[in-house]
Amino acid sequence: MALLEMQGVKKIYEQGKIEVPALRGIDLTVEQGEFTTVFGPSGSGKTTLLNMIGCLDKPTAGRIVFDGQELGELDKKGLAMLRRHHVGFIFQSYNLIPVLTAYENVEFALRLLNRYDQKEVKARVLRILAAVGLAGLEDRRPNELSGGQKQRVAIARALVKEPKLVLADEPSANLDSKTSEEVLQVMLKMNQELGTTFIFSTHDPLVMKYAHRLIEIRDGLIAKDQRREQDAVLN
Amino acid sequence: MLFLTKLVFKNLFRSKSRTIVSVIAIAFAVMVVVFAKGLIDGMIESITADHIYYNSGHIKVVDGEYQKRERLLTLAYPVDGLAGQGLEEMISSLRNVEGVEMVIPRLKFGAMVSTEEELVAMSGWGINPDQELAFTDIEDLLVEGRMVTPGRQEVVMGSKLLAKLDRRVGDEVTILFNTAFDSLRGVTFRIVGRLETGLKILNELAFYLPLDQAQQLLYMDDQVTELLLVTSDKKLVPQVLSRVQALLAESDDRYQAFGYRETSDLIPLMDLSAAIFNSIYIFLVLLSCIVVINTMLMIVKDRTKEIGMMSAIGLESKNIMRLFILEGAVMGVAGSLCGAALGHLLNIYLSKVGFDYGEALSGMSSEVIFDTMLYPVSSLRNTIFAFVLGTVVVTIACLIPARRAARLEPTEAMRE
Repeated sequence: MALLEMQGVKKIYEQGKIEVPALRGIDLTVEQGEFTTVFGPSGSGKTTLLNMIGCLDKPTAGRIVFDGQELGELDKKGLAMLRRHHVGFIFQSYNLIPVLTAYENVEFALRLLNRYDQKEVKARVLRILAAVGLAGLEDRRPNELSGGQKQRVAIARALVKEPKLVLADEPSANLDSKTSEEVLQVMLKMNQELGTTFIFSTHDPLVMKYAHRLIEIRDGLIAKDQRREQDAVLN
Repeated sequence: MLFLTKLVFKNLFRSKSRTIVSVIAIAFAVMVVVFAKGLIDGMIESITADHIYYNSGHIKVVDGEYQKRERLLTLAYPVDGLAGQGLEEMISSLRNVEGVEMVIPRLKFGAMVSTEEELVAMSGWGINPDQELAFTDIEDLLVEGRMVTPGRQEVVMGSKLLAKLDRRVGDEVTILFNTAFDSLRGVTFRIVGRLETGLKILNELAFYLPLDQAQQLLYMDDQVTELLLVTSDKKLVPQVLSRVQALLAESDDRYQAFGYRETSDLIPLMDLSAAIFNSIYIFLVLLSCIVVINTMLMIVKDRTKEIGMMSAIGLESKNIMRLFILEGAVMGVAGSLCGAALGHLLNIYLSKVGFDYGEALSGMSSEVIFDTMLYPVSSLRNTIFAFVLGTVVVTIACLIPARRAARLEPTEAMRE
């Protein structure tokens, strides 16, 4: 069963009396464990597509099935529950909570699950922080971390709950190429070890280099959907 | 939930100046509520106590006609016993009524003293000194000399009255008055005591003399103008009053009995003021809430992206709302606690020192029983009331920014 199926998905925004179509009919299937990049020019509908995939928004028309669950049937709370348990987000500007330490920012996502006891939470948070190379920096607040370190905290926050899907919006936009490479390596490792599905929205050629699948969006439609052999990805 | 609470406390220190301004605004409003409530309660207590002491007792028994002409201090309608049985028997019957602890006779009459410059109008109060000392706070007001002694032609006067008459304790004063037979009479008394009080009626108008002397000089043996009944607790007045009224109705319908509230214009007015002020307190705290709401709205705006992120990772709207309500509630509790404590301390201090409204109330009639020295009441009940009011109103007010935060769509919030 595919992790995500989109059929005839349309999204129209209303700006006053003007209707602005952002997605004009998307048909897309994403399998578990894919490492996919969505790219396209500004205003092409990338972010809207990611919002639909991430259960943050509902389509105007069409249907989306996530892990066997028809999203149209879920209310606001149902969508929040789905995001809480199965979707991890990595935002371009990190969106860390400034008053919390790196440890607490990651802990937040895990606490929402209400699934693990204190000991288990601590073990999981420390493990994921070590995996993203932040061992020893757990007690630092975001303002005490570099851009790359912040992005790693955001990645750890997205991955700590071991979601089925991670959506990353321009994850390398604020990073230098060396840090971008390090961060992508971490995500690739998670993809390979945990089978987590990654979908990126980016213009960054470096990120696109890592992707197994490249989806080009233009004017709210999929213009190109190209799969690459895993071995060929980094060559 | 514990994690969210931890986040709330950390957020409070995020913008310390905003939090401090909000807490100060709440604290100030709550402090004013505690102070104002203490002041109003102090006024009501003072007015009620003075009215009971110096006008009506808990229950006042007078001739029905006297009640209509009380301001004239007429001697034509005395209290002289039930159905011709004599005053002592009447006092004894009233003392036997269940709930009555003391029966205090008073004989009030109009009098005057001629000085070189003017004719000073006064009001003579014939009293039993032992009973007055036991029932009223007159002993505290007696700043010089002593109380009158039965059998002696002596008087006690207020400081201002003495000043008007240009007399001192130890001097003699000749007082003119009309007897019960409407004959004018002048008698010289020795001044044995001086009262110092904010009550204008005692300070400027009335003078005390022994009841036996008043009865003898006015030709009113075994007669008084009023009987004041004292109960163990003023809450018992309605029950005791109905028993007294029943006794009077079956014995002598000349007499009427009134509870202390019926004979005062000020007490019901003050009770009404207290009720009105209770609404004003809520508005006062609501006013401080504007600061809190404004602060919280700014916080919501500042954290819009963060709210979007929290919503995106699965925090439900109700928990986002809870986050902001809790933040406001903590500010409400902190501000209310500080304000209530400060207000309480202020009232403790002012309840000892008091306010002198003498200048402001100088034009008020001497007959109005209103002490120009006001002492706010420091009461734990008022302090708790203000604390709870502050906390509840601020928390409810935080619903506005909290709802705004909870309604933010994650996609829109993160676009900010």
